[in-house]
Amino acid sequence: MTIHGLWVISKAGGLVFSRSYSDVLPPQPVNTILTLAGILHGIHAITAKLTPTPIPGVPVSGLESFEAEGWGGKVFLTPTGTKFVVLHSLPQAGLDELLRRIYEIYSDAVMKNPFHTPEMPINSSLFESKLQTLMSSVNA
Amino acid sequence: MTIYSLYIFDRHCDCVYYQDWHRTKPTRAPSSQNYKPGVHRIPMITNNINSEETFNKESIFSKSLGSQNENKDHNSLISNNSISNDKDKKLNSLPKGLPFDEESKLVYGVILSLKNMVKKLSGKDEAFTSYSTSSYKLHLFDTPTNYRFVLLSDPSSDSLRFILRQLYVGPFLEYVIRNPLVKIDNRIEGIDNDLFRLAVDKHMKGLSMFN
Repeated sequence: MTIHGLWVISKAGGLVFSRSYSDVLPPQPVNTILTLAGILHGIHAITAKLTPTPIPGVPVSGLESFEAEGWGGKVFLTPTGTKFVVLHSLPQAGLDELLRRIYEIYSDAVMKNPFHTPEMPINSSLFESKLQTLMSSVNA
Repeated sequence: MTIYSLYIFDRHCDCVYYQDWHRTKPTRAPSSQNYKPGVHRIPMITNNINSEETFNKESIFSKSLGSQNENKDHNSLISNNSISNDKDKKLNSLPKGLPFDEESKLVYGVILSLKNMVKKLSGKDEAFTSYSTSSYKLHLFDTPTNYRFVLLSDPSSDSLRFILRQLYVGPFLEYVIRNPLVKIDNRIEGIDNDLFRLAVDKHMKGLSMFN
């Protein structure tokens, strides 16, 4: 499995972090990713509405993963509404574990940082370097 | 594994065919001004006693076959949740789920947005093939003439695009394209006819992942 990129989307649908980790997918301008993240946030809500067999009393969940030819994306929704979107190659063994690791790094390096404002773009060199180490170990 | 529903969209982005199997939240019939004939056989909710009669007229193709005996057969094709009598119909006429026209627009909107997103991200004309949530998985198959076959199944299934392809080369060609009575590519009515519906139903029920 190769990780092509990671986005972090705030609970309001704004992109707060995005990095590319491989050159399989062409690099995109930040504005494009910002738009796409917004679209994905909307799709997430609509896909939940389309559930054919909802169980009464259980909240329906939205988009979890999508696949194209040769690559895919996985959406990990935290209980607080932050979404982590990982673009990856197929097949994707061990992706859930990786997402948990990313969430852990996010909690440690971003949420425990007293200078970070929630819902604002993430500007943390510690977060970036920790992610870089994790991604290079996966992509190697 | 379970199959929930099948949608076919034409190049005008209109839903031209719909069938469902194991939905616990059935879609509602659209309001009469948004009603498009020949797409689905969701029972219309009407307040008069003659609802059975209006229901028979839903497909122009069933008119010629419209004897009472065959209606039983048709009812089984509408949906597995078809309602048995008028009293039940009234009880069940409370809003459940979205009206069909809105639901099909949402499905098309989602696949269009995801398609554009995948295209933009990969930088080439690459098709998105499926997406899944914790409760269902949507499969997409595009034909060269821009018909879009969409199948909803349970999330644990593998790629089911081959089934959509089988439906395209099998029943769709045989009973829609080669059927002179089906008005292809008009925007007023869908492609529904008894032979096609029966063939799709038979194909789906023959699959190992149907139940």
